[in-house]
Amino acid sequence: MFKISIIIMVLSLSIMAKNFNFTELRYSDAIGKTIELQGQITFSKDGLSILYPKSKRALKYFDDTLLYELNNEVVELDFMQQQYMIQYFEILILLHNGDESSLGSEFDINKKQEVIVLTPKGTLKNYINKIELFKENKLLEYVKLYLNNNDSIMITIHDKVK
Amino acid sequence: MIKLSNYIILFILLIIGVIFKDSIHISTNLLSLFGSKDAIEKISIADNLGYSKEMLIAVKGFDKESKTKVQEISSKLEKIQNILFVQSSIVPSSEIKAYYEKNYSILSNFTDTPLSSSLIQTKLQELYDEQLNNIFYTPVDKNDPLKLFEFDKNNNLNMSHKGSYITLGDYGYLIRVSTDVSASQMDKAKKLYTDVQNLLNDYENVTSFAPFYYTVENSTKIKDDLSWIIILSSLILLMVYYLLIKNIKLLSHTLVALMSSMLVAGYASMILFANFNALSLAFGMSITAVSIDYLLHYHFHNFYKSKKSIDKNVLYGYITTVIAFGIFSFIPIALISQISFFAVVSLSFAYLLFTFVFPHLDIDEYTQNKDLIHNNKKVKAYIFSILSILLFAYSALNINFDNDIKNLDYQNKKLLETQSMFDSFNKSKLSPVIVQAKTSAKLIDNLHILKNNSKNSYSLANFVKSKSFCQQRKKQLQNYDFKRLNKEINIKASKIGFRDDYFKDAYTFLDELPKCEIKNFDMLKQFSLSTYKDKDSYYSIALVEDTDIANKFDFISIISAKEIFAKVAQQMYKDLLLYASIVIGSIFILLILSVKGKILYALNYIIFPLSVTLAILVSYTDLNIMHIFSLIILMAIGIDYGIYMSNTQKPNNTMLAIKYSILSTFAAFGVLIFSTIVALNSIGVVISIGICAIFILIKVMK
Repeated sequence: MFKISIIIMVLSLSIMAKNFNFTELRYSDAIGKTIELQGQITFSKDGLSILYPKSKRALKYFDDTLLYELNNEVVELDFMQQQYMIQYFEILILLHNGDESSLGSEFDINKKQEVIVLTPKGTLKNYINKIELFKENKLLEYVKLYLNNNDSIMITIHDKVK
Repeated sequence: MIKLSNYIILFILLIIGVIFKDSIHISTNLLSLFGSKDAIEKISIADNLGYSKEMLIAVKGFDKESKTKVQEISSKLEKIQNILFVQSSIVPSSEIKAYYEKNYSILSNFTDTPLSSSLIQTKLQELYDEQLNNIFYTPVDKNDPLKLFEFDKNNNLNMSHKGSYITLGDYGYLIRVSTDVSASQMDKAKKLYTDVQNLLNDYENVTSFAPFYYTVENSTKIKDDLSWIIILSSLILLMVYYLLIKNIKLLSHTLVALMSSMLVAGYASMILFANFNALSLAFGMSITAVSIDYLLHYHFHNFYKSKKSIDKNVLYGYITTVIAFGIFSFIPIALISQISFFAVVSLSFAYLLFTFVFPHLDIDEYTQNKDLIHNNKKVKAYIFSILSILLFAYSALNINFDNDIKNLDYQNKKLLETQSMFDSFNKSKLSPVIVQAKTSAKLIDNLHILKNNSKNSYSLANFVKSKSFCQQRKKQLQNYDFKRLNKEINIKASKIGFRDDYFKDAYTFLDELPKCEIKNFDMLKQFSLSTYKDKDSYYSIALVEDTDIANKFDFISIISAKEIFAKVAQQMYKDLLLYASIVIGSIFILLILSVKGKILYALNYIIFPLSVTLAILVSYTDLNIMHIFSLIILMAIGIDYGIYMSNTQKPNNTMLAIKYSILSTFAAFGVLIFSTIVALNSIGVVISIGICAIFILIKVMK
């Protein structure tokens, strides 16, 4: 309970702001390289959107519907790609909400110093080994997803977008 | 001692009951009364396959709050006893994922075209570029980097969804819960119902439904309904026996005699029928009350004070009724044959007691009140016969049958509305059928045959390939040179920039191909699909759009109780017509023998109540099986009255006996008119209208 409360407090503090700049570091085990992407993430009541300004691409996930926009035009995604993205976004939303019972129902929660480690309990464990949340000065610094195929995705949150 | 013989007989019968109490078994399976043996077997197989054990929980809306509710409720449900599986997401379970992985090479679509070196190079380069440039995270499939296999998980699912959450059309999110509780398991159903309701009470805008909800909710209503009907019935009987006859000794002996008759009939029925039903018992007990008219006739004609050993009118009445029920006891409709057999035994035992034991019980003489009845009969018998024929003709033109067995149950409006809400939002309108085969492999073949003929069907065939397809695919894969492909991929991939040996296992999953016979389908229970094996066959459930198409195959059986009943109903009505004709023919002959010249007069006591009741019924409702059976009971009542009235030497005494008998019949059957359970209400309506018609005959027919 104590651990869950910490997560909720941490997330709540950081999430007071709804719109963030972030850096995504994506490690691909296949090519042994890390790719860096810059973007903006916006959490709203019904979902979230991620904008990659450099490539003029956006992913919008509202009311369980995923839209991919390229140069402001909607591009259709194949089913599997959609499912991957939706699951990924569901996790981000879950972490963002920081809802005690929802987090507890999906993950085992452990705190190692400043890092909170979430280990999936249900079907998520088919795709994700663990999720790390790192805080500094009581603010969420990064979220790192360790995937089953040795890939990883780390999202570092910088600041609130004015 | 002989004066106590009536009580001694009951005592002996009760002792027999206590000694053999472990052998007493009464079935409560309503369907077993109507469906054929084969249909009941199919329902039981469907039960084993989990059909009708699913519970649905709908959470209104698609907002964040609704989603949170789904997650919370799902995790709480998993902890409840008798819940096997909770599904709120289309994400496959670990077991299904393992199954997909193991059988990937067979289940997915395979591009069987040898790839040129340049094409392999291009594809790998694209994959590499994708890793660097694609803003979507796309995992590399190290087993199948060239995407020779394509797996479409989406078109297999028989559920609508938003994102990964299952939905109930436009209503909101849906949680599907597999339970091990069927509608016939009252205790388990009650416990699970209470647990789930307690859980859902904490949430607003959450609705749930399961077939066993009817068992739980209706049983309480039925109990309440029956309790006050029994009280009402007892009050009327007490009024008839005590306030009108004013003879407490006669009352006590009559009740004892009726109880003995019911016990004898009950024991005999349980010996003869392996599944003697509670409903047959209840009906049979009510019919036993008809035998009171023997007693009343004896009493009002002071038979017990006379030296006669037999009253011919009562004997004729008894023989005719018993022959009618005797013929019906051979009908291949379990409910009617069970009730009829029970009636034959109970009426016979009651007749024996009233005729041969009661004269020794020292019952007080009946003193006639001469002013009691005024004879003001005006209408001739043939007028009623013509009227009856006209009413029969009107009925024949307007008759409609209600084949839906569910309509006989208590009409739980709230639950029916909930069920129809789930049905209306569910866009998939599929009906279940059972598919049967001698072997597991043949079962899958049959499911594929069904799938090919009924495109939108949903079954194991959506997830499992047939043995022949599997063998063909294996041959195809064995002929493809994956070793060469692996070598080429690894050489090219390294040059492009992939990590060395990243693809060392590419296509090695094809070294060992899965077996073509899958024996365990447990992992597909998440999708409400499974198999069941009995001594001779394998079974599975398939959902189809059109059961008529499915029904063309001999390996398919319909399992919806509604359809089973509709299917047997036609045969049942045919049987009823045949047996009713035999019964009416027999009654006609017996009436000629017993009433001779007054045949029309006596026959009117059967046909007039029947025709009036039938005409009134067809004017406002469809006829159900209970209406029909009650008409048969009405006929049995009419036979006795017809004979008594035709042959009577003392019309006032006979009329009085019949009036009291009518009152006691109303107490036994007529009060059911106040019941909210359609089956019981139907009986009450028929008997009440019928005895009113008999009353009219007594009063005005000459």
